[in-house]
Amino acid sequence: MIGLDVGSTTAKAAYPEGKFRIVESRNWRELTDGIAPCDIVSTGYFRKSVPHKLAITEITAAAFGAREYFPDAEVIVDIGGQDTKVIDLRNNTFLLNDKCSAGTGAFLEFTAKYLGIQVSELGDLHMRAKKAAQLNSTCGVFAISEMISRMVEGASVEDVVAGMHYSFARRVAKLIPEADRIVLIGGTVKNRGLTAALEEVAGKRFLIPPAPQTVNALGALRYSEERP
Amino acid sequence: MILTSMSTVGITALVPPELIFACGHMPLDVNNHVPSSAEHPVSKLCAWTATWREMLLQKRLQVDSLVVVAGGDCHNALADGQRVALGGIPAHFFFYPFDGDTDYMEAQMQRLVLHLGGEVDKAKFREVGLAKELGMRLEQMRIEGRISGADAFRILISFSDLCGDIPAFMEQLVPEKRHEEAKFRVGLIGVPPIYKDFHEVAESFGMHIAYDELPYEFLRLGGNSMAELAKSYAGYTFARSLGYRLDFLERELARRRVDGVIHYTQFACHHLLEDDVLRRRLDYPVLTVQGDMPGSTPEQVKLRLEAFSEMLGRAP
Ligand code: SF4
Repeated sequence: MIGLDVGSTTAKAAYPEGKFRIVESRNWRELTDGIAPCDIVSTGYFRKSVPHKLAITEITAAAFGAREYFPDAEVIVDIGGQDTKVIDLRNNTFLLNDKCSAGTGAFLEFTAKYLGIQVSELGDLHMRAKKAAQLNSTCGVFAISEMISRMVEGASVEDVVAGMHYSFARRVAKLIPEADRIVLIGGTVKNRGLTAALEEVAGKRFLIPPAPQTVNALGALRYSEERP
Repeated sequence: MILTSMSTVGITALVPPELIFACGHMPLDVNNHVPSSAEHPVSKLCAWTATWREMLLQKRLQVDSLVVVAGGDCHNALADGQRVALGGIPAHFFFYPFDGDTDYMEAQMQRLVLHLGGEVDKAKFREVGLAKELGMRLEQMRIEGRISGADAFRILISFSDLCGDIPAFMEQLVPEKRHEEAKFRVGLIGVPPIYKDFHEVAESFGMHIAYDELPYEFLRLGGNSMAELAKSYAGYTFARSLGYRLDFLERELARRRVDGVIHYTQFACHHLLEDDVLRRRLDYPVLTVQGDMPGSTPEQVKLRLEAFSEMLGRAP
């Protein structure tokens, strides 16, 4: 059995021997080479479009996956490519922000593209910032014009990137309920500038698993093991 | 304007249909035409009111007069109702009392009767009452899980206007099928979803909708005299204080033994502001969904319903 998470940008697989693989979503077939559909538990946006024995939502997958690393987790924040999900494990409720791109990975991609850099560089640029640029917009489109204004006024790319991370963090922090053990997952969480901004804005430290982008694939696998 | 000969009277949800029938007219709930509409109103806040407004102004829905539920319910309806009136369709504005004052309610009903021509045939009160008694029996069957939530909803929602024809409507009050065993029972609170297949989608994820908050009001309220009607309709929960509505909700949710609650909210509707209060007060897992334009249930809403069903399965 494998756990297969096919999201909007990347596809991830968790294999029983503890291995993970990540490819671009359009190449998801590489992950299931030689594996029969009856041995696949799928999750993610395209969970029903790929072969599977069982398909579960990312919300359930996240709950099962995060538990592997942090058995006493209270809240999971999953910052994905197209949406941000906040799951409160204490009372079995969840919130999804999928209307506005400003608190999702898509916004980071958009910013990086505008600045002519790679998304993977955002974290290092943030760490080199001297003074984060002030960005007030709650809307992603207006945030871009604010970034331009700050650069026209002389702010460095590093300061603008840090400012963008803080404004992103303020939006996501508003969705997070009061809790002590909050787990951050999703590919975006690899960006240390963003997690630093989020911790500063929320005033607490978060729990981050070693491979935050594969937690849902692992969760799908664990789900199948618990409910064969 | 006073209506004389038999007319089609458009209503925006809960206007006592007893009064319209008793005055010799046919009620037509304009909201019932919204979920399957392909209208794309240019100027809109809530798509419910903007869609019926456009359908009426473009004459895709024909009425001789429109009775707008304004006070105690919805200001978007008040504004869009006035736009319909300015477009040349006679409109009457009907107000519910926030404090449940039955004298106020009766005065509003008398004003409505005047607009409808002034002559009241009380036998119609009884006819509507009989249909509602039958409806209550079907509602009990849905509570017991003997008919599907989708079927019950289709019947309940039509009690706002009884399809304009009481005998024909009563003949239709036959549930289609006994529904399969669902995994969970849920209560659907808030305004009705603007999606035409919402109940079916919830059922496909194993959830039996055992309560439709607003449509149940259409069935529950009624009476055999003006005084009885006034007393009953003054208790319309959506027009009353949130505390009053919550007390009522708690009793209904307990009686129907639900495992969870879905709070449907509509884009640009003031009821969204009540979400936090409802979530804090109701002792059930609550899923809040928000809709905007009419049509089939969109994928992002389906994802939430599916995840909610999975969550109910994990509940201790
Ligand atoms: S959904 Fe809200 S805003 Fe729209 S008609 Fe109903 S009460 Fe009014």
